Parts: sequence; structure tokens; C-alpha cells
Amino acid sequence: MNDPFTKLKSSMKNTIFKDLSFSDEQKKAVKHAIREDKLQPQLHFWKEETLLDVFEFLQREANHGYEISNHLFQKYDQSFQNNQGQLYTLLHLLENKELLTSKWIEEKKYYSLTAKGKKQLAAYTQGSSKHGRSFKLLLEEAVL
Amino acid sequence: MDELEQLVVTEESRDDREEIIAQLMSEYSDGILHLVYTYVKNRATAEDLTQEIFIKSYEKLSQFNQQSSIKTWVYRIASNHCKDYLKSWHYRKIVLNEKFLDYIPSKSKHIDEEIIAKDEENCLSNAVMALPVKYREVVFLHYYEELSLAEINKVTTVNINTLKTRLKRAKELLKDKMTEEV
Repeated sequence: MNDPFTKLKSSMKNTIFKDLSFSDEQKKAVKHAIREDKLQPQLHFWKEETLLDVFEFLQREANHGYEISNHLFQKYDQSFQNNQGQLYTLLHLLENKELLTSKWIEEKKYYSLTAKGKKQLAAYTQGSSKHGRSFKLLLEEAVL
Repeated sequence: MDELEQLVVTEESRDDREEIIAQLMSEYSDGILHLVYTYVKNRATAEDLTQEIFIKSYEKLSQFNQQSSIKTWVYRIASNHCKDYLKSWHYRKIVLNEKFLDYIPSKSKHIDEEIIAKDEENCLSNAVMALPVKYREVVFLHYYEELSLAEINKVTTVNINTLKTRLKRAKELLKDKMTEEV
């Protein structure tokens, strides 16, 4: 028997891949999803210090949103002073990107760092002097 | 460097990225869909995963560097995405269980399959699809996509010598399978 693969391409085309084509509707769905994604809040929307403060605060222990905002306020970060809701948008985003995880305890949602989140914070604190990369950039790369 | 790659290198805004993905889809979407099908063996799943792959490519586009061609870059995202899917909880617990149920033999189905298997083209395709995934992937990329071993190495990150061994072994397995059925 000669090389069984010589007719492979045409065989597969005519059988299992027959009429298997990525349709225009599916392409449209992708384009639509991309446009939606553009409207989503992105990490770069927030300040470097704010992100770092949240991570450092949660590194020590799990905390709920109100404590996190208090902590930021004490650190003179005014980012959320008149817009508490934004903090929750950020927490949800970080949770979606699997940098934070949360648990409900007595009707309060406690946030803590995931392994991935801890890893990024450690990479930043250990390597910041060497690479001079911002924490935000590290996070953006990690969540892609 | 082709036109598409030129675009990737020089343009960075989000609208341009959208345009790049549109072009990638018009050029490679069927190839990617076929690759995905080769991994997951289910048309609906393959279509869903292919959509996700292009969305992922859009998100990762800023990471593309000229070290590889845009084609192998997208194929690599596709290959990794499929492997993640095959490792996922959903696939292992739900899909595999459903497949197991399919194996409970029904008489009529058996006869259908026998008739189909007589057709040589079907026979060959089915034999390829029955290969273990590490052989199936390299056979598809080499013989269907006609990628070179160096390109397959870029897509799968598998060492070139290992790829050669896998191709050789895949051929043996396939010959056995084909002679068995004749």
C-alpha cells in the first residue's frame, strides 16, 4: 500500500469537512462580540496606585467592598470618593479576569486574591526595580 | 511579509484591530474551523470554539510579534484553545458521558456505518479521526493544511524531531487501521 496520506486532503474535504464552513452569520457574531468588548470597562481605566492598593490590601486577608473603599480612602486615594459604584465595577472586572475571587459570608461578599492575582503582585514587588514595568501593565498582560 | 502582516505591525488602534480580525476570518476561518473539528469532532462545538478563537485573537493581537507568521500565530491560539476545551470540566464530565451513551449499540446505526465505511474516502477520514489526538493534530496540520514541520512546531511548540516521530507513527497506525478494514 502506498502512502495512505496522499489522498487525505481531498478525502477529508469530501467527507467530514463537507459543508463545514464558518458562515457569514458566525463572522458577524464575532464582530459583534468584539464591538461589545470595546464597551466593557478595561483595566487601563483605573489608576496604577488604586490597583496596587487593592491588591496589597487583599493580599493580607479577604475583605468586603466597604472595607476596601475605606482603606483606599484612608490612603488618600480619592478615586471612588464620589462614586462608590465604580469600585464594584473594578472588583467585578478583576473577578471576571480571575485575579480576584469572592465568597459570601453573612450576607457580605468577601474578596481575596486568586493564585493568579498573587502571582502578579509578587512578580511586581520582586521585579519592579529591574524591569520598571507598571503593575497595570503586568495585570493587562496576565489577563489576556 | 504579506499585506495582512504589514497591517498588524503598523496599525494599533481598536478599529484597525477589528479590521485585522475581519481579514483573518475571511482568510483562515474555514481552516481554523476544520482544525477545531479535528480536535473536538463535533460541528456545533467546533463552530462555537472558532468564534471564541477569533475573539481571543482580537484580545491578544497586541502580543503578536513578527517572529511568527500571522497564520501560525492564529493557529496556535486555536490549537491551545481546543486543548483547553478538551481538558475542561465540561468536556470531561458532560461530553464524554454523552459519548459513552452513544456507544451503547443500536442495530440500525451499525448497518449504516458499515455501508458508509465501504467508501474509501470515508474510510480514510474516519481512520484519521480515530487516531489519538497528538497524531491527529500533526496529520491534519501536515497533510491537510500542508504546513511544514517548522510551522507545525510554531503552532504546537512540539519539537521537530518529535513531530517527525509522530508523523511516522501516525502513518503506521493508519495503515494498520486501513488494512484491518479491507
